[in-house]
Amino acid sequence: MPKKYHIHPKVTPLEMEYLYKFKITRGENCINCGRCTKVCIYEAHKRRKGDRRKMADPNTAVCRNCFRCIQECPRGALEKSLHQDYVNISGSHWKADMFLTLWKQAEDGKVPVTGAGYRGPFTGAGFDSMWTDMSEIVRPTRDGIHGREYINTGVELGRKHNHLAFDAEGRLLTQPHTTVDIPIPVIFDIPPVQLNPNVMLALIKAASEISTCVILPAADIKPEFKTYSANIIPFITEGEIDKYADILKDSRLVAIDYTDALTDKLAAIKERIKNISNAVTIIRVPAISGIEGTVSKLVNSGAEVIQIVADYRGLEINKDKEANFKPRLMKDIIRSIHLKLVEERIRDEITLIFSGGIAMAEHVPKLMLCGGDLTAIDIPLFIALGARLYEEPEKLLLLPDGLEKLSVDIITQRMVNLMGAWHSQILEMMGAMGIREARRLRGETGRAIFFEEIDEETFGKLFKQQ
Amino acid sequence: MKPSTVKIKKMPSRFKHQVPKYKITRSSDCINCGTCAKTCPYGVHERPEGHNRVNPPIDYKCIGFDCESKEFCCLAQCPRKALSLSLNPMYEALGDPRWTADMITGTWIMAETGYPPERTDLDYNVGNSGGGFDKLRFKFPANPPKVDKSEISTAIELNRRNDGRAPVVISTPVYGGGMSFGSVSLSTMVSKAHNAAIWNTFTCTGEGGFPDILKPYDDHVITQVATGLFGVREETIQRVKIIEFKYAQGAKPGLGGHLLGEKNTEGVAKMREAVKGTSLFSPFPFHSVYSIEDHKKHIDWIKQMNPIALVSVKVSTPNDVDMVAVGSYYAGAHIIHIDGGYGGTGAAPDIAKKNIAMPIEYAIVKVHNFLKAEGARDAVTLIASGGIRTAHDLAKAICLGADGAVIGTAEMVSLECVRCGNCESGRGCARGIASTDSELADLFTEEWATQRLTNMYNAWNYQLVEILQKFGMKSVKELVGRTDLLEHIDYSK
Repeated sequence: MPKKYHIHPKVTPLEMEYLYKFKITRGENCINCGRCTKVCIYEAHKRRKGDRRKMADPNTAVCRNCFRCIQECPRGALEKSLHQDYVNISGSHWKADMFLTLWKQAEDGKVPVTGAGYRGPFTGAGFDSMWTDMSEIVRPTRDGIHGREYINTGVELGRKHNHLAFDAEGRLLTQPHTTVDIPIPVIFDIPPVQLNPNVMLALIKAASEISTCVILPAADIKPEFKTYSANIIPFITEGEIDKYADILKDSRLVAIDYTDALTDKLAAIKERIKNISNAVTIIRVPAISGIEGTVSKLVNSGAEVIQIVADYRGLEINKDKEANFKPRLMKDIIRSIHLKLVEERIRDEITLIFSGGIAMAEHVPKLMLCGGDLTAIDIPLFIALGARLYEEPEKLLLLPDGLEKLSVDIITQRMVNLMGAWHSQILEMMGAMGIREARRLRGETGRAIFFEEIDEETFGKLFKQQ
Repeated sequence: MKPSTVKIKKMPSRFKHQVPKYKITRSSDCINCGTCAKTCPYGVHERPEGHNRVNPPIDYKCIGFDCESKEFCCLAQCPRKALSLSLNPMYEALGDPRWTADMITGTWIMAETGYPPERTDLDYNVGNSGGGFDKLRFKFPANPPKVDKSEISTAIELNRRNDGRAPVVISTPVYGGGMSFGSVSLSTMVSKAHNAAIWNTFTCTGEGGFPDILKPYDDHVITQVATGLFGVREETIQRVKIIEFKYAQGAKPGLGGHLLGEKNTEGVAKMREAVKGTSLFSPFPFHSVYSIEDHKKHIDWIKQMNPIALVSVKVSTPNDVDMVAVGSYYAGAHIIHIDGGYGGTGAAPDIAKKNIAMPIEYAIVKVHNFLKAEGARDAVTLIASGGIRTAHDLAKAICLGADGAVIGTAEMVSLECVRCGNCESGRGCARGIASTDSELADLFTEEWATQRLTNMYNAWNYQLVEILQKFGMKSVKELVGRTDLLEHIDYSK
């Protein structure tokens, strides 16, 4: 049994206002009777510090929406509404509740647990249109969550052989390829905005702490990051291999920007990298239409790892700026690429990373069930620090003021907490499925329930007019 | 037909105000003439004797835009046109797509009055989730056979195996879900059982043990044998008419439970026969059940211990729920209880509630058809739960193939739950329903809660009878599996 993988969360609050869901206002007809201070168990209502005869403004931050103050105020003087901030921040993909839950997970590193049933829509777009299966009575044990049995979330990055070759005497001819093991199916993607030095260092340290890697433009990799070489994936163009030879020398993985000319030169490029180090190459390809063909060609040309990058909402990228472009969703892009490689019998040879729009822990196992090996994330790591993201009128990612004053340790711990919470949630879903190896999730659509399929099978069959 | 023990009595809210749907705004043009106070029959406007000024409007009493067609509407009557009507932003903070604010308000009215709301502005029968029950509608025939309401039976048999065990009949095809000792307040637990006795149906103990205080209601209590086996004793098995094996719960399928050490108080520990202050795990699954054969062994033990009781098997809804159901039938279960993925809970990981296992709507159809194909459908009772929010959901579930349903959240909402979801955090439920905190658990009496539940069950039964009458049916049993009486708002075009 491999050594158990643990992420160590530590409660790390930030002294900062973030997003609140509710707003309570006190009307002028308040008679300062103090009933609200008695009925609120969350202490949203208090008397004014200087003048005890008057009530203070309600502290909306602690409101848990129990409605008792609203219902018990003798004068009906309290009013409540959804906070305007909360309403404004919600986009088509990045929903307001995501910000709140990610923020909370970054604070305590725990699996979010609440009472009452699910409160969202029946189904939704992309990953929201699938459920994961579970094991009822007749499947192997699935007791990994409480630690009595080990659930392995580790994945390998690198190329695999399709089959083994032997010589006439039956001796093994095949040399195994180099692979890189990481204990969680998540790496950190290139930061979406320019980072302050303390945030940059924290990002690297967080990756190191949880034994994963972060992709950084080679130009941003400073000599003092050398201690963390094993956790940094330099991102370069193919022309920059020699320029960054010093950095590549210590790297386990290197990411190269895809160009159409790359496929033919791939063997030579790999050779050039191998001359410098033993690093495994990741090719970063934008998720544009026809991506299946590109990926297939790359696999056939000997690619080791391919990262398919959708936009920040997990949508296909409109490369040629077509009018009326209907982008596919990440879920469908993954399934299509995976299936094509399966049909061509080359899926097992390659590691596929999918990134763009991964916002919640549940997206990770779902992405894998659709056919990915692992994912790369970016925005959630900054929401952990209080970032806000607006989709309309155009993408706007705002980091909070004063971030440069926070200590590296605090920022690191917030990111580690978030990943700790994600890891625990991945374990919950795998535990329920009875799957003990994350690698076995890949393409296991039999353990997923897709809305389109089951709705058609059930209601379609019953209610569609023949 | 409702049991003679059912007595409907108005049981108003514990709170001074309800959550208002509308907002009446009085502008500075108001001259405090008091016309509005005289004209409004609902009591929105008040000018107390001897006061110069009219009180601020009591929004929750307003019936909204429907009033505008009435002669007495304050908007039209106000000589200065100083009043305006709008939707209250407060209402948006109540409820969610599955349990809309209208649904919560509607259930509150049912629990208060015993009947469905007379107001026509509440869409309380369907939610806003955009799928499942919320996309299904009844297809009522234009000229159904004439049936008098008094001829309509809502009773169902729970033992259909013809095996000599107790012929248990419930008067309405609904019973209360398992909520364990400690997860809800004692008044909640006792009132659930008391109401079950009044309605000649059942409630379930959950897995935390079977407190003696429920003794008077033994004939209406299902005791649960869950994976932790907490509080399970020969004596508790012998006390009841139905024993339920809980394999999984829809809100957290495939996951075990975990009672934190600090919640394991002296009382809880005693009930669970555990050591006070230790964390208690309910593992997943039963560590002694890895096959249907193991499962049968457990059912046989129970049957041996209690020679007349029925056995219910509660499972959640994985892809192979149909096979699990058939397996349970062959193992000897009388009731197959399937709990869908969107079901309620006192505490579950959000990730599990949203993502694991399928919604109940699909599972009912799957299991019903599979049992039919196996020739076993008539020998088991199929009970659905996990997202049955209203009487309409119940009737739709029966049309899809269930015999009846188990409800939990609807009962909690009757006791004025707002679904804030903080059942387990800190001191527990701020509204006193799911808390054992000494102060919070005293927020209502057992009498109040029992009547609220009895009223809500009555309103549901009333609606169910109405639906059956519109179909010209004399028994709810005729409704089972009648998908031809439903239409889907997307597909049936």
